Amino acid sequence: MMRGIGHIYMALSAIVLALPIVVVCGAALNGGRTMTFPPREPTLARFGEFFIYETVWTNALGNSLIVAFGAATLAVLLAWPIAYLLWSTGSRLSQVLAGLGSLPFAVPPIVFGVGLGFFWGFTGGLGEIWAGVVSHAILLMALPLVTISIGLRAIDRAHLDAAATMGATEAVTFRTVVLPQTVPYTISGFFFVLVLSFNEFIVMFFVSASSYATVTLQIFNSLRNGYTPTMAVAAITFIVVSVLVFSAVARWGDLPRLMGADQSRN
Amino acid sequence: MSVADGIDPPLGEETAPARAPFRWSRVLPWGLTALIALFCVVPFLLVIAISFGRKIEGAAWVWDFTFENYQRFFVGTLWPDEVTFLYLQQLGYSFWYAVIASILAVITALPFTLALTRLSRRAQAAWLVFILSSLSLSEVFIVMGWDILLSNNSGLPALFKSTGLTDWLKAVGWFDTLREWGLANPRNVKFKTSEFATILTMSYLVWPYSVILLYPALSRLDPSLSEAARTMGAGNLTVLRTVTLPSVRLPLFGTTLLLFVFLLGTYVAITVFADPSKHTTAVAIYSNVRGANLNAPFGATQAVILLVSASVCLVLGHTLNRWSEAR
Amino acid sequence: MSGLVLKGITKRFGGTLAVEQADLTFEEGALTALLGPSGCGKTTLLRMIAGLEAPSTGSITLGKRNITDLPAHKRKFGMVFQSFALFPHLNVRENVAYSLTISGASKTAAAEKASTLLDLVQLSAMGDRRIGELSGGQRQRVAIARALAQEPDVFLLDEPMSALDAKLREEMQVELRLLQQRLGITTIVVTHDQREAMTMADSIVVMSNGRVEQVGSPQDIYHRPENAFVADFIGKANFFDGVAEAGGIRVGDQTLVSKSKFHAGYQVRVAIRPERAALDDAEGPNRLPATITFVRDLGPHREYHLDTAIGPMVVEYAIGEGARPMKTGDHVEVRLPPDALHVFPHPTAAMAAE
Repeated sequence: MMRGIGHIYMALSAIVLALPIVVVCGAALNGGRTMTFPPREPTLARFGEFFIYETVWTNALGNSLIVAFGAATLAVLLAWPIAYLLWSTGSRLSQVLAGLGSLPFAVPPIVFGVGLGFFWGFTGGLGEIWAGVVSHAILLMALPLVTISIGLRAIDRAHLDAAATMGATEAVTFRTVVLPQTVPYTISGFFFVLVLSFNEFIVMFFVSASSYATVTLQIFNSLRNGYTPTMAVAAITFIVVSVLVFSAVARWGDLPRLMGADQSRN
Repeated sequence: MSVADGIDPPLGEETAPARAPFRWSRVLPWGLTALIALFCVVPFLLVIAISFGRKIEGAAWVWDFTFENYQRFFVGTLWPDEVTFLYLQQLGYSFWYAVIASILAVITALPFTLALTRLSRRAQAAWLVFILSSLSLSEVFIVMGWDILLSNNSGLPALFKSTGLTDWLKAVGWFDTLREWGLANPRNVKFKTSEFATILTMSYLVWPYSVILLYPALSRLDPSLSEAARTMGAGNLTVLRTVTLPSVRLPLFGTTLLLFVFLLGTYVAITVFADPSKHTTAVAIYSNVRGANLNAPFGATQAVILLVSASVCLVLGHTLNRWSEAR
Repeated sequence: MSGLVLKGITKRFGGTLAVEQADLTFEEGALTALLGPSGCGKTTLLRMIAGLEAPSTGSITLGKRNITDLPAHKRKFGMVFQSFALFPHLNVRENVAYSLTISGASKTAAAEKASTLLDLVQLSAMGDRRIGELSGGQRQRVAIARALAQEPDVFLLDEPMSALDAKLREEMQVELRLLQQRLGITTIVVTHDQREAMTMADSIVVMSNGRVEQVGSPQDIYHRPENAFVADFIGKANFFDGVAEAGGIRVGDQTLVSKSKFHAGYQVRVAIRPERAALDDAEGPNRLPATITFVRDLGPHREYHLDTAIGPMVVEYAIGEGARPMKTGDHVEVRLPPDALHVFPHPTAAMAAE
């Protein structure tokens, strides 16, 4: 009985959750310039505009890709030593570092965005795309920090002792035991940053200083002029990317464990 | 020590203690500290420093150490002759929207997450993909979707009209109630602009987050607890009330706090769905720093106040989650 | 190279003393068991021998070489861990070849050595399996092969049987002992199971509370326990507390004849193995009236639980031994042969004496 109600509730939640997404997807098919649902004069022309013809969108898509991949790589590279330090020493310093590293993600992004706007203004990075990459890497570093820490904690400490009794120095143990066992967690962290960077726009708004735009930023900027169906195509693209990425994480990583599920029950 | 005397001394390179650390392990922490301080701390310090700065009319701003901005925020520029609470009111709206939306999200996400943790591992993974995809979806897209759904000439109002629901509401007399609540104009229901639409969208925005945040606590619930209660004659609802809810009370509260902090910074949903007279501090920060007003110090002041509110809630939420995990 | 010698090894963790003043010699080629209840410091001692923990004081020498400060990866003592600690990201062959791979051996040499070792532990066909596909017993064999691959000076095993079920455990104990004798390698096994220690070991080190209680052959330890702890921990024993007198021990209102070496008036504890007490008509001292309170038939032997004037005790008979079967409620006489009585200082008196 209870179980049945649970399933019905889950289904209802899923419908509400999907509702605006479905509407946006439908709106992408509009023939005219206005967003209506259900779409009028359905056409696929908007997809061509977004991916091929309109340079505003193709440039924005390029910038989004550069920022997302750059930020994901940088965030993982920054998070690894902190997570490793936290795991291997557990020192006070490493705890403080992990806490500070997660700070930008924890506070409202508009505050960090304003701060980074000032910061790049003084250091000369304002409006540079590399500054955007660094900004997103810092903002989202908390995610690989968490996934890598989960991965490290999953390693049996006896494995390290075993390696040592077989002649492995700490460096060799790191390369042959720690690193291979944490690869799935590192990749998950990378993907989390990738997807969230793709979708972030407030921080990007403050650090880009209107000299370049990512896709979400482009949409944000044209907010006051109203939505166009081409933007809906962007939305579809992003949803598809998210679903693909998280499916990959679920397929090759342990998604329930990453989300903190109890390990003793399967 | 007569026996030890005859023993070869250990080789020089082997005198390191068991488990020799990396050579670069001395340098690494300090390099990292410098990097983290530069990128994670300096921006916040800059915001705080600039909040004490002064705007020059017709120009940018200069460094200073004045409390003018804070005075303006709390009581207005002309204090003590004249007092305005405009900015405090904006902060009030920030809190109001965020509180209601986060509570709504947690209450509706709780039964969902509870049902989710009882599924098989594979089914859980599939649902998590769906939840995470929706979680990562940009605020601009979500607002876009709800905007289409709620705008006056398409979506729900059009649906109400064409299905005759509007006429039915008028006939029953509920339409007048809706008008009193600001959810209808003389001809049809309208959701833009309204607090209802604002809070609905904000709640939707954090709903997947609340599932993800509640998931660990709920998945660790020991099923034998509720089974034990059942063997003692407790019905489903009694189990929920006397066993399940009390044991997730702290994570529930902690999650609400985290969502609340997240929602303090909401921007797009407010500008699209809220009446300009009911805009929030986040919107004011935007218009001061990059928008029409161009008063960076005052924007920074508002950011500091938002930051302080957020930090207090974060620390509180973190402590609560710690507590609940320790038990 | 010859044996491994520990001198004055002490290990402190913060304020607690995990191992106290251990002086031990491990003969070359012998199998020594470190036996004791959990938390007695035996695993800490093994980890210090492996180089995974540094002793607080004391020295460890291998042959003539002082290895106290040598880190684990330079000692290269092969070790089998309680959880086996097999690397899940490597297959069976890669696990076995690990020590060779990281020391830069050629691929062919490593593979050759790995197959030799897999033959040795009878897993030749399993080389390409993943660790997750193996049973508990197979995992243990892989762990043993892996630890032996580096041809260690000393072979260490930390509770190697604890992850196996009871039947498999007995088989593996015999198999491991045969393997060890064939290779003639100095081996140290940590265990809390006295049967396991007695099955495999040339020499047993009994430990409790961080201290070495007794060192000796399995027979020594069983038949000539040096203190009450060893008598209690190894096998079963009946205990009676009493006071030493001239020519015997006074327990309650009875006096037991015994070759006690204690001064009169000394607080002592007397122990007797259940199979050494007798319910028979044979002549001799120390005959006590008793009532049978419970009979337990365990197949190979039968246990009689008795109530006597000096307290409850258990007597054990192998099936076929002890002619007439008795039942609960029977009044009998139990005989405690003086040479079967072990007399120790009473633990509290022993502690006060220190």
